[in-house]
Amino acid sequence: MGGYIVRRLLQGVGSLIGVMLLLHLLMTLAIQLNGNPALAFFGDRVPSKSQLAAVEERFGLADPCYDQVGNPCLGPFVQRMGDYLTGDFGTNHRGREVTDIVATAAPNTLRLFVIVTLTWLLAGMLLGSVAARFRGRAPDHSIRFVSILIDAFPVFVMLLVYKFIVTVPVSNWMSARFGGDSLPALLFKPSFSPDHPWATVIVPGLLLGLAGAAPFLRLVRASQLENYNADHVRTARSKGLGDAHVTAFHIVRNSSIPVITAVGFVFAEALAGAVITEGMMNIYGMGGVLFNAVRDSEVSVVIGVVTILAVVTIVVMFVVDLLYAVLDPRIRYD
Amino acid sequence: MTDPSTAAGIAAQSDPPAPATRSLWSDTFRRMRRRPDVIIACVISLFFVVVAAFPGLFSSTDPQRCDISESRVPPQWFGGEHPFGTNLHGCDVLAQLVHGARPSLLLAFLVVGVSLVIGLVLGTLSGFYLGAVDAVISRVLEIFMVIPFLLAALLLLSLFRNVDFGGGELAAILQPAIVLTAFGWMGYTRYVRASVLETKNLDYVAAARSLGASDLRLMFVHILPNAIGPVTALVPTSIAGVIATEAVLAFLGIGVRPPAVSWGIMISDGAEWFTGGFPHLLLFPLGCLLATILSFVVIGDNLRDALDPTLR
Amino acid sequence: MSELTESVTGPDFGSDREPLLAVDRLAVEFGTEDGVVKAVNGVSFQVEAGRTLAIVGESGSGKSVTAQAVLGLLQTPPARITGGEIRFRGRNLLALDRRDHRAVCGEHIAMVFQDALAALNPVYSIGFQLAEALVARRRLSRRAARQRAVELLDLVQVPNAAQRVRDYPHQFSGGMRQRVMIAMALAMEPEVLIADEPTTALDVTVQAQIMRLLRDIQAERSMGLVLITHDLGVVADVADEITVMYAGRAVEQAGVHELFAAPAHPYTEALLGSIPRVDRKGQELQVIPGRPPELTRIPAGCPFHPRCRYAQDVCRTDPPQLLPAGDRDRLAACHFART
Repeated sequence: MGGYIVRRLLQGVGSLIGVMLLLHLLMTLAIQLNGNPALAFFGDRVPSKSQLAAVEERFGLADPCYDQVGNPCLGPFVQRMGDYLTGDFGTNHRGREVTDIVATAAPNTLRLFVIVTLTWLLAGMLLGSVAARFRGRAPDHSIRFVSILIDAFPVFVMLLVYKFIVTVPVSNWMSARFGGDSLPALLFKPSFSPDHPWATVIVPGLLLGLAGAAPFLRLVRASQLENYNADHVRTARSKGLGDAHVTAFHIVRNSSIPVITAVGFVFAEALAGAVITEGMMNIYGMGGVLFNAVRDSEVSVVIGVVTILAVVTIVVMFVVDLLYAVLDPRIRYD
Repeated sequence: MTDPSTAAGIAAQSDPPAPATRSLWSDTFRRMRRRPDVIIACVISLFFVVVAAFPGLFSSTDPQRCDISESRVPPQWFGGEHPFGTNLHGCDVLAQLVHGARPSLLLAFLVVGVSLVIGLVLGTLSGFYLGAVDAVISRVLEIFMVIPFLLAALLLLSLFRNVDFGGGELAAILQPAIVLTAFGWMGYTRYVRASVLETKNLDYVAAARSLGASDLRLMFVHILPNAIGPVTALVPTSIAGVIATEAVLAFLGIGVRPPAVSWGIMISDGAEWFTGGFPHLLLFPLGCLLATILSFVVIGDNLRDALDPTLR
Repeated sequence: MSELTESVTGPDFGSDREPLLAVDRLAVEFGTEDGVVKAVNGVSFQVEAGRTLAIVGESGSGKSVTAQAVLGLLQTPPARITGGEIRFRGRNLLALDRRDHRAVCGEHIAMVFQDALAALNPVYSIGFQLAEALVARRRLSRRAARQRAVELLDLVQVPNAAQRVRDYPHQFSGGMRQRVMIAMALAMEPEVLIADEPTTALDVTVQAQIMRLLRDIQAERSMGLVLITHDLGVVADVADEITVMYAGRAVEQAGVHELFAAPAHPYTEALLGSIPRVDRKGQELQVIPGRPPELTRIPAGCPFHPRCRYAQDVCRTDPPQLLPAGDRDRLAACHFART
């Protein structure tokens, strides 16, 4: 087991460096193609002298490698990596540190993710299990239909509809009935309120969770089905073990393995979804920060946040791999 | 020695006509044909493809010809010059809708098409040769997968904002196309690789190989046609995904390039006016977007379920 | 002993020849997209304590389905038991509800499956799986269960049992895994052991070891052993009686010596003839022409007639019954059973 951990750790670090390098190369290319490197960072705005200078210094834009298209610009890369290692992820246009922004924003994203994960677990596991249990019959078909419906509505559209069509009338109605500060009114508030960080995050989290629940549901169903008919389940039954015992020990336990690993992959998607959700609902989380940074062309913030999110993703995948090894002994001895 | 007449008898009776071997595809299509929702979805998506391909059939108005004096006209339906009304700048909404279909759909088909090809090639090479080739491709795959589709798009398109690729329809979608393809090929590659790994150990491959088939021939004539099945289920759903992503990107201002118009841009503009008394500016493009995405997803999900052995 | 098993055991007649397990005209059908598959068509056999019955047949002959029906392991849809009885010590198991059926089986009838790697749960240790039934049904303490697991491994001659009890299935070799499966089946001290193709996935030397192990264990405990296989050669050493199955039916039943010496049914004759023999080197291998029938379209009359070298008109129209043929205790389903 120890060997496995070390190996996965090394792999993770390798992936991390690879990701950073990839991002860097793509950015470098963009900057080089832009012709005027510094301006790439400001989009449509017109930067002030000091802002321009700050960007130039942070990203080492004075380096001549940025004038040749195709030059990988490894010098500035190493320099920036060094900055990252010291926790320096840059600043926004007003000079506020990205790390500071992220520190304020991260808790809100975490709250959102808690709701999202709960929704996945409930919707995905519950519905998936029921569908597997009643495979081929009415509950299975109707759940499948629901999952298609869920798939069809991209988060973006759901949120648009919710935000522009549902929230205002509903929250007004709720306010009138229960008072402006009551839970029902807050639940349907069109935008986030830092004074009520949990209440205003619940419905967006639910929507985001639902949007991603469909593949999860299918995965749960498929892996449980695989196990229902598995030979080892038959063996367990032949030993005279009761249905409840067999289901708990042999079906659920085994089918949870692919589900857990799926969480790792779905996490990246969830981040993307969070960006949209937070952006549209004005939630001041990492996704929201990113959303607004893109909108306002604050490219250095965009770079900083995307990098941080990439690091987080790799860490999550590492943790998931560890969990996988705990659940499936075949992996440990690889 | 058996009696010859008995032998004939045996042949006639013990080799009955084999039950019609149903190939994966005919079985799949049979199952899908039956479902009314699939049929409706196909009709709808086909409709939009036609709209994208031949916008002139649906609206003779030029979407770019905007008369500011006619701004924010409510829908006149079948009567007037502006069946769906006009937007803030006086541009005809119907014309924009109709012409906006093309960038979205073209982008989607382009991205998915190229991603599919990349996925097929890399996945087959990776699954077939394993070893170093597989190691490299898998590593690269992992690295790309860490960065979510959308995030990469956000990052790169922000940076590329001012880069000019020239005019023309293709140029308008080129940036999002490149970025979305660059981060969209991974899913296909993984699927194809898994399918190839499964298929290549089958007996008929070993048989072909023993007959001297070259690697290339084995890969593309024998393995790939069978490996391709599960991947195709991804295609319609991916198309829907790209269309949705483009809408988000447009909402953020980094989608399809102006002056080309896309539904995403229309939604982004129209959203503000929704509560201002002009709901049609949001509802029409949103409705089209929803209908297109829904129909592709229905096709994709049904295709996947039809290919799913556990549902037989 | 639990209440349930008390009632099933019933009054003890003491005779050793009383069948422990009797399958009487069992019929099992499967509903499929292609039609109804009659997997088992009126099969009867019995096993007594201390005796070994071998059920022999090609794939698709219905042998595994029969075994699974005995243990209540068939998924009922798509399977359906349409007739017959399965009696353990005289009590019809099919009359019990599924839970009780499996409970009886858990205590008295055990099964060893073919593919040990698939049949064992990969995420639990061998020790856990060996003792699982003991812990769940007999409420053994963890320590007692662990001890019992080690004893069982010793019994099946797995070396280093005390260490290996902690290992996982994928850490054992094929032959060892099969021993583990046997050990697991023996955990509850069953009176009947059904082994479904226990050696098919193993190489020849290991096959012989496993067969010897089964025979020794059976002798030691006076268990009834049912051996299911398609390989007549494997069976010759171990079996006392043989039932030959074809297309879901029993076509011949005889003692092992009688069967090998003079098969009564043409199918058995053909099977024996097709065994490659060292003393017939240089001659063509004999095969049975044709293929086993599609179970959705079993030929009318005798199911074997399309492939039978002795087929006559009556064979095409009249399904032969399993009737005594010649010697006592010998049954064959053929109009022209050789004696």
